[in-house]
Amino acid sequence: MSAGRLAVTGASSFLGSRLLRRLAGQRGGDALVALDVAAPPGALGVRHRAIDLTEPASDQQLLEALREEEVDSVLHAAFFTSPRRDATHAHELESIGTLNLFAAAAAAGVRHVFLRSSTTVYGASGQNPSFLTEERALPSGSGLRWLRDKLEAEQHAASFARRYPDLGVTVLRFAPLFGPGVHTFYTRIFDHRVVPMLMGFDPLVQLLHPDDAVEAALRAVERRPRGIFNVAPSHPIPLATALHLGAKIPVAVPHPLAYVAADALWTTGIGDAPGGFVDFVRYPFVADGAKARRELGWSATYSSRQALEAYLRYRHPRGEATPVEATA
Amino acid sequence: MSRPKVVPLRPPVADGDDEAEALRRQVRALEDQLRRARAAAGGRPGPLVAAARLVQELRSGLSWEKAARFWSDVYFSYHSEDVDEFGYDARFAETLMPLFEFLYAVWWRVEAQGIEHLPGDGAGLIVANHSGVLPYDGLMISLAVRHEHPARRTCRMLALDMFALLPFLAPLLSRSGAVRANPDNAVRLLRKGELVGVFPEGVKGVGKPFKDRYRLARFGRGGFVRIALRTGAPIIPCAVVGAEEIHPMVGQANWMGKPLGLPYFPITPTFPLLGPLGLVPLPSKWSIEFADPVRLDEYGPESADDPILVNRISEDVRSTVQRMIDGRLARRRSVWFG
Repeated sequence: MSAGRLAVTGASSFLGSRLLRRLAGQRGGDALVALDVAAPPGALGVRHRAIDLTEPASDQQLLEALREEEVDSVLHAAFFTSPRRDATHAHELESIGTLNLFAAAAAAGVRHVFLRSSTTVYGASGQNPSFLTEERALPSGSGLRWLRDKLEAEQHAASFARRYPDLGVTVLRFAPLFGPGVHTFYTRIFDHRVVPMLMGFDPLVQLLHPDDAVEAALRAVERRPRGIFNVAPSHPIPLATALHLGAKIPVAVPHPLAYVAADALWTTGIGDAPGGFVDFVRYPFVADGAKARRELGWSATYSSRQALEAYLRYRHPRGEATPVEATA
Repeated sequence: MSRPKVVPLRPPVADGDDEAEALRRQVRALEDQLRRARAAAGGRPGPLVAAARLVQELRSGLSWEKAARFWSDVYFSYHSEDVDEFGYDARFAETLMPLFEFLYAVWWRVEAQGIEHLPGDGAGLIVANHSGVLPYDGLMISLAVRHEHPARRTCRMLALDMFALLPFLAPLLSRSGAVRANPDNAVRLLRKGELVGVFPEGVKGVGKPFKDRYRLARFGRGGFVRIALRTGAPIIPCAVVGAEEIHPMVGQANWMGKPLGLPYFPITPTFPLLGPLGLVPLPSKWSIEFADPVRLDEYGPESADDPILVNRISEDVRSTVQRMIDGRLARRRSVWFG
């Protein structure tokens, strides 16, 4: 193990808090610094610096904290997993916050930064190959602010990796998380009985169990490989099959209508995501996990279907709504 | 599987309503037990059983849960719960198989020749001419391989993006085993030792006008040769005769195709004149002929970067396919009877 400390941003996020817990168990609380507005659970004994990445002077505070705590590597997990109505705030956190973090890390002589990203950055498109590899060029922009912020965070990471050869950068692109404890706009599709689906479209989707996600991140922190890694389960599942496994009643909606309806629902505060997200249930964005298998020595232990079933069991513990247990 | 516990049928204790209530409770307990036993066995009821059960359960009122369970039982009678990495759904393919077999054996009376040229195991790249407006030829090639080959091999056809992205057709194709045509997918399948079918003519082949029938278009830029060289898989040239006549395209209305996202909008004697009925393909007589495999072992994977060699092999394969087609056409006396 290296001498310096490991700092974790977004330490109270879903993935961040789980990682912090595991890391505290592995290397003890004193080797870790949580950089977050909220303090981590006291029992972990983790050091804490209250830093708000959305503040204009956060880079100064970060620089001080990284120097004083003798931070050697940073795990950057401060990202939103669902679209925010306050898009400006999300932009300040995800894009500007990442920029500030990298600037401070480079100035403080941090040796490695791990960035939490997601496979959604590839964008859902009909032109996507069946398996997206890490070499795939990312879209230069997106109509979705949520996605644009993620893309900008990746651009900052790539730019700093290029300009500071001493700074190691690992980008982990996680497939959509699905499993116990996960609540995102994506899992919420499965919280209703009647689910609208696009007429004539049935993309393959990848669902990643959070245990697998944590394991992959730990592997990366341990081995410090540079570069981009897809963290994805090996077996995707067709969306329609996933819905029927969850005993949902899919209702086919013509896609031109779906974009308008989703936008209308989002604007009126009912919907979970704006219309642009309809692309993600229309086209596939299936990532190839071969590089992570090869270089991280990690592969998912849950298939997409098993992750889905774990989520359904978590949502319906008595099994009344899941065909897996009720009728199978 | 654990042995289900038996709920004893106790004699009813009281008359009238109580009795009915007690019986109802017992019936519910038995139904629960049955459901659990089925779950343990891992099976799902067929659509008829599911429907009968739904009707029975409707006596105690309709609920979303019952409707959803019925719907998912029906769905999984025709779909598997697991698909492969490209989305191939074995049970779905099996469901459609009678229709495919009807087309193969009755409608087009496909005659397959030279099936012995296909490898008994391991990778192989079947290279065929493309025609017929809709990708029936790919389907028939994979059926020929499945039904005539002694090892009953499956052949994964590479489907053009225009088909693989079309609403309704796209999920149908991927669930029945077709894979989007791109080099990465082809290499991935060949490395797994599968038989892969490819149409190098692409859109230029499948969408060619009727007057150009059986004249092969350019074989792309030889991408299929590079794939074969990289993986060391033999190329098996294949000629399909009969598919050109199923939807004789006498004209194109591309102004119609553009808003629909199609590279061409076919006009045939029956389509769009007869509406959906015009989509019924004509019952020509088909033959599918496989030639001797072209082995590329002597070259090695690095020669995939040699454009002159790639083009030469590509042209060789193209002329083999053209020769087989011409030979067959010369022997053919009737489009409908062969």
